[in-house]
Amino acid sequence: MAPSVEYYCPCLAASPHPPPPHLPSSSYSFHPLHNLFFCEECDAVRCNRCVMVEVSGYYCPNCLFEVPSASVRAEKNRCARNCFLCPNCRNTLTVVPSDPPNDGLDRTSPIVSTSLGEPPFFLFCNYCRWDSAEVGITFEKPTGLAAQLQKYEDSAPEALEFDRLKEHFEPFLRASSSSSAITPSSSHHHSNPITAAASSALARDIPGVGKYNPLTRSRSGRDKGAHKTDIPDYKARVEVGSAAGLGAGGGEADAEFVRHLETVAEVATVEQRWVNSWASSLHTGDLKPLRIPLQSKKSKRCPSCRHILIKPEQKAQSVRYKIKLVAANYLPAISVSLPHARVALEMMKRSALNRSTAQPEDQNPAAAALLAGKTYSFHLSFTNPLYDPIQVRLKKAQAMPTPGSEAIGEKAKRPPFQVNLPSAAFPIAAFAEAWEYEDDEDMFGLEDDDDLDGLGRLQKDSRGKARTVGVVEKKANVTVVAGEVILTKEARGNVKFNMLVSYTYRSDDPDPTEGNETGTPSRHASNKQPEMKNFSFYTVVDLGPIVPREETRHDTDL
Amino acid sequence: MDAPIYYSRAEYIETDTGNKVSRRATIAGPQNIILGGKTIIASGAIIRGDLRRTGPGHAVVISLGRYCLIGEGCVMRPPYKTYRGNFNYYPMKIGDHVHIGNGTIVEAATIGNHVEIGKNCIIGKFTIIKDCAKIADNTVIPPNTVVPALALFAGSPGQLVEDLPESTQEMVEAHTKGFYARFQPAAAER
Ligand SMILES: [Zn+2]
Ligand SMILES: [Zn+2]
Ligand SMILES: [Zn+2]
Ligand SMILES: [Zn+2]
Repeated sequence: MAPSVEYYCPCLAASPHPPPPHLPSSSYSFHPLHNLFFCEECDAVRCNRCVMVEVSGYYCPNCLFEVPSASVRAEKNRCARNCFLCPNCRNTLTVVPSDPPNDGLDRTSPIVSTSLGEPPFFLFCNYCRWDSAEVGITFEKPTGLAAQLQKYEDSAPEALEFDRLKEHFEPFLRASSSSSAITPSSSHHHSNPITAAASSALARDIPGVGKYNPLTRSRSGRDKGAHKTDIPDYKARVEVGSAAGLGAGGGEADAEFVRHLETVAEVATVEQRWVNSWASSLHTGDLKPLRIPLQSKKSKRCPSCRHILIKPEQKAQSVRYKIKLVAANYLPAISVSLPHARVALEMMKRSALNRSTAQPEDQNPAAAALLAGKTYSFHLSFTNPLYDPIQVRLKKAQAMPTPGSEAIGEKAKRPPFQVNLPSAAFPIAAFAEAWEYEDDEDMFGLEDDDDLDGLGRLQKDSRGKARTVGVVEKKANVTVVAGEVILTKEARGNVKFNMLVSYTYRSDDPDPTEGNETGTPSRHASNKQPEMKNFSFYTVVDLGPIVPREETRHDTDL
Repeated sequence: MDAPIYYSRAEYIETDTGNKVSRRATIAGPQNIILGGKTIIASGAIIRGDLRRTGPGHAVVISLGRYCLIGEGCVMRPPYKTYRGNFNYYPMKIGDHVHIGNGTIVEAATIGNHVEIGKNCIIGKFTIIKDCAKIADNTVIPPNTVVPALALFAGSPGQLVEDLPESTQEMVEAHTKGFYARFQPAAAER
């Protein structure tokens, strides 16, 4: 894995500090910058785990038709046009006529016009060659197939049973919404009349099944009693014992089927049966074409102030947004690299160049590894997205003794590595449109060393390693700084640490809520004294795995 | 910042609009192929501009936008079908900022803008890939598949894995522009 930097989202947590970087669970708190949002109102980073998501529109991922919400309900969240998934492999099915195609090739890609051709029509998978005629589904006309299939679906025993359940609980649903605040203890989810009714229905005696008597029932039993009497017992359409007889799976029939199997392919896989909410037939031959589930476009809101962070354009396939507040437009983008690994790769590529074009991939020669007991330099490159210059200051977050780690017995050992970051603040120039467009060549430095402006000129040793901690390079709106990591001889695992990034920027808008902000006076001798603000965020820097000493020899031998 | 990607100057032909085409690529029927500018065709790629619709006149068979990359060993072949008894090829249109990984075979009808296709994929005939979609490495997209905007497809047959982030367009654009800028002749030959 290439070295990486991810950004911390506190997800409204009380503590502003990120979790220790080494815990596997910590990965949920760190995200690539481009996955994060930024709430201007709260002046805070938000992520997909904490934002509130709302559906702003439905569409079919195959025919791309935008489906109005009213139809979504009636059509049960699936496309009502001619869009079907193969029940065998999940490829999209094609409608084909039953007259033989005019050349043999066409059978594998039946892009035959459906306006001609002879009935009956059937659905064909051009990936696994499943077809609906195999399971006895054919159509007289090549149109309106979804409606016909939905008729089957809606008349299936499980669908009827579900409708009946819904009908049964409808009065309680209505009652609960009108009298939701009757009992003060109604916040307890067991005392809600719907769940009470459902649990009483579920706890009903089933012939041959022992009665389950959870302890919690006795606790919630008292306040539930008030509602319990209002709810008549649900009477199923199909009794549990007889469901197997309807081909719904289970029972002696399945055992008999499995006993006489000739190939495993006769049994539908779990993935193929997964979509059913009801125990379904084991037979591959009973799989039905699936109407394609709809997809949605989503709006996202800040979980704290509810301001909209993401609002897509109405059109389903548009990739534009009416509102798009992404963190990448507010926080500097950080990338990390290991100069010694880069040098090693370059050597390799140059030697390979005569063969063909070298692509920069994750090749990992031994020379690029991090060896225990050694000291390495690393480069952090900061890109400023703002139209004003910023001042950045870095700090390694203290590896706080976690309450959990001590309990496990992992006592505060000597840390496996020590990180040195530049202690002084460094500037990053403003982003300018001109750098973004047209001849970007200048920006990426065809001239290698000329741009070093003296400020952070480093002595490079023969292998190109920069030894100093500080600014290495400044180009356009990018500043590269060098840090250093000292690995102990016993170091193991990944070189992974939390880093606090603080930056000072000029605030454009005269802030009405001034005083709340950690504004700092301008250091620039500007004539208008622009208001400066400070923003801090945590990141996790992962430089990659440490190669232990013993293994080193092995690696170089290979 | 990422390191430059060097190529041997002798291998690539650079056009006035900044397209870089490897001499080791096979460009059949170049008069039927349009390259938008700053597009790279890597070595070993095969582009079948010769498979054109029957009939008189000039026809564009394959068009590629700006900042595209056709990786090493890719095959770009227009889709065909027999319609009302007539066999024919149909044009392939590819937008801007489209990267196609090494060893991938493409027979799509249209590929939108800002699309990333991985290595060793098969993109079946008449596939439509909308803007900002991504196809993972080693994916097989069967013929006639529609890949919606901002969707990540993977597997065989390719299926939706997840929605891509809202900032995909900017990221892909930065990546394709960065790649073009870093794609330079080897220093020794300057
Ligand atoms: Zn969050
Ligand atoms: Zn559809
Ligand atoms: Zn199939
Ligand atoms: Zn907010």
